[in-house]
Amino acid sequence: MVIKIFFFSILIFTVSGLSQTDWVRWEKVEYSYEKPNRFRQRDYSFDTESASGFIAKSAVNTYWYFFSELDGDNCPYSPSCSAFFVQSAKETNIFQGTLMFFDRFTRDYNIYKRYEHYPRVKDGHYYDPVSLYTLDEDKIEYIPPSVLIKK
Amino acid sequence: MKITELLFFFMLFTSVNPAQTKDFDFSSPINIKKFADFLFCDRDYLRAALEYERLISSEVKDTLLFKIALSYSIIGDYPFAIKYFGKIPYSSSYINEAQLELIKTHYLMNDYYGVRSFYNNSFIKEANKYQLEGNKLFNFSYLFTKDELPSKEKFLSPFNLSEKDEISEYYDWKQDPLYKSSTIAGIMSAIIPGSGKMYVGEIGDGIVAFITTTVFSFIAYDNFKAGHNTRGWIWAGVAALFYGGNIYGSVAAAQVHNAKITFEFNDGLNVFLQKNNYYTPAYGFCDEK
Amino acid sequence: MVFVMKSNYIIFLIILFECTLFAQNSFDEQFNLTKKLYSDENYFDTVTELKRLLFFNPNSEYIYSAYETIGKSYKQGAKFSDAIRYFTLAEINALSVDEIYNSRIDIIRVNILRRTTDRAFKLLDSLEADIRFNDKIDEINYWRGWAFIFADDWENAAVTFAGIDSTIELTVLAKKVDDDLYSVSFAKTISYIIPGAGQIYTGEYISGLLSLGWNILWGYLTIKSFIDERIFDGIVIANFLWLRFYRGNLQNAEKFAKEKNLIISNKAMNYLQFEFKGLKP
Repeated sequence: MVIKIFFFSILIFTVSGLSQTDWVRWEKVEYSYEKPNRFRQRDYSFDTESASGFIAKSAVNTYWYFFSELDGDNCPYSPSCSAFFVQSAKETNIFQGTLMFFDRFTRDYNIYKRYEHYPRVKDGHYYDPVSLYTLDEDKIEYIPPSVLIKK
Repeated sequence: MKITELLFFFMLFTSVNPAQTKDFDFSSPINIKKFADFLFCDRDYLRAALEYERLISSEVKDTLLFKIALSYSIIGDYPFAIKYFGKIPYSSSYINEAQLELIKTHYLMNDYYGVRSFYNNSFIKEANKYQLEGNKLFNFSYLFTKDELPSKEKFLSPFNLSEKDEISEYYDWKQDPLYKSSTIAGIMSAIIPGSGKMYVGEIGDGIVAFITTTVFSFIAYDNFKAGHNTRGWIWAGVAALFYGGNIYGSVAAAQVHNAKITFEFNDGLNVFLQKNNYYTPAYGFCDEK
Repeated sequence: MVFVMKSNYIIFLIILFECTLFAQNSFDEQFNLTKKLYSDENYFDTVTELKRLLFFNPNSEYIYSAYETIGKSYKQGAKFSDAIRYFTLAEINALSVDEIYNSRIDIIRVNILRRTTDRAFKLLDSLEADIRFNDKIDEINYWRGWAFIFADDWENAAVTFAGIDSTIELTVLAKKVDDDLYSVSFAKTISYIIPGAGQIYTGEYISGLLSLGWNILWGYLTIKSFIDERIFDGIVIANFLWLRFYRGNLQNAEKFAKEKNLIISNKAMNYLQFEFKGLKP
């Protein structure tokens, strides 16, 4: 019943969306002829001030350069497992980040009904952000799997 | 003589066809209003509101204010909607509708405490034609917040017979919201790896967690048994991280599960309110055409 | 009597003159206002004022231009579906064959710009098949060339532009881009044979060599395990390491070729958008 209701609400939103062009004052848009580059770009920069973030990032950068860039796209999630590790360590601490990373590992190996669990990002990866797992309930923003994430 | 007649007919003709009058005034209040009404009924609400606003200085009519406020409410500019609904004078025939719309606007802003405090200070609470609707909206707001619910009888009293079953279902759901306890999930996974995940409904994750923890533990045990102590400790460390990660993950999974339950419940409530148009009436501003 | 007649006649003329003058002026002024708003890039208000003009004077001689300008305004705001809706209204209200043609080209240009090129090609084909537009073949082909560009088909774009006399610059550009593009299938094929070769072909030398290195290492360890009769080790290394890096090598060859191609075509697109002086979608 809940699912049905949810789809109904999406339908209402889409239908009303058709007449909304002028509901906000719009300006000229410089519409680019270029196609967006959707290839996954790694961010090798060290933009962290905490020691645990620095350690995690060094390990991840080495892993990315010598392994991950070369063994293909094996992670079904966005952010990828290694990026998830860096972000977790940054948002919490290296200990909690490690636990979150091993939990993510478990989810990585579970191929059962993923499409019912996670929303998709435009490039096809399942969206599984760090904010869901920091144990801070206020940070949890539940997004249903039917939503397409635009990042 | 003939020419004078011709002249007369010519002038008559030009005066009855407004589009061809010699000096058509696009900015006259009557023409602004005509155009604004057209835009309003064409669902071009922002333009309609902007046109109606041009008339406010020349004529303050509550219909005008009400339509501006309604336009802003529909396009999602709630601060402006509140501003204009609030401008409608108490003496206006639209005051009850405006107050009802203000409650709706608070709903649209997800401001459920605002719904209640506004209702408590409004005329709607006193006897008038929207008293029942106001009461329904007031009670309904408790389904969105963590506050204690009023008694079921009191809660259901303003709703019609046809609505009572559905509302009663929502009430019961809110009383006992099928949440999973994160503590229980954590403890279960501490006793049997993966069982906490299964408890929150993540069967696949639970199985994987159980397999990884037991397999790595077994490898560690096997190495210790064979006297490979270093390797044994490495595998034991990996097993411990999977074990700890799973307990952590079970607690987190319970929280995510509960967030999902809340989201779907609130989504259901919103659909119910939308279907009933937040108990606001249809105004028929565009009906006569 | 003659004098009276004459004076009446003169008054009549003056009133007639004024009536036509003012009738023209009110709507002309409104139309000129919208032109000014449009040239000031104030597109939202352009639409408002044109809607006002159309509301009060729905049968005027401006109807085609009004709908067309509304369409153009929406196009400037990248509201392409609305743009097409109003260009279609312009076409419905067109008073001449030229206006029909122009509004259809407007629709085609929006379809090119938002990369719904299949639709653009269909519309171009129908324009070409219409005998009324036989003298416009070069122009139709010009937009077809642009549609090929936005469909990432630089080869056909070059061929199409080559068939028109006045488009040497576009022909040369399209041909150059087509020549510069890497062959994705070639990159993948050579990486099948020698891991890392496809990456080296696209200029990613370090990645190519690292890939080759991993594949040699895991290949060696796999074969050695089998020679030493450590079958389980052999299967594990082959499956979890060699195959993984071999597949990664193929994915990278394809990814690099596609990414480099995107950079090349985007550079050309950037030139077309900001440097090219001719007509653009």
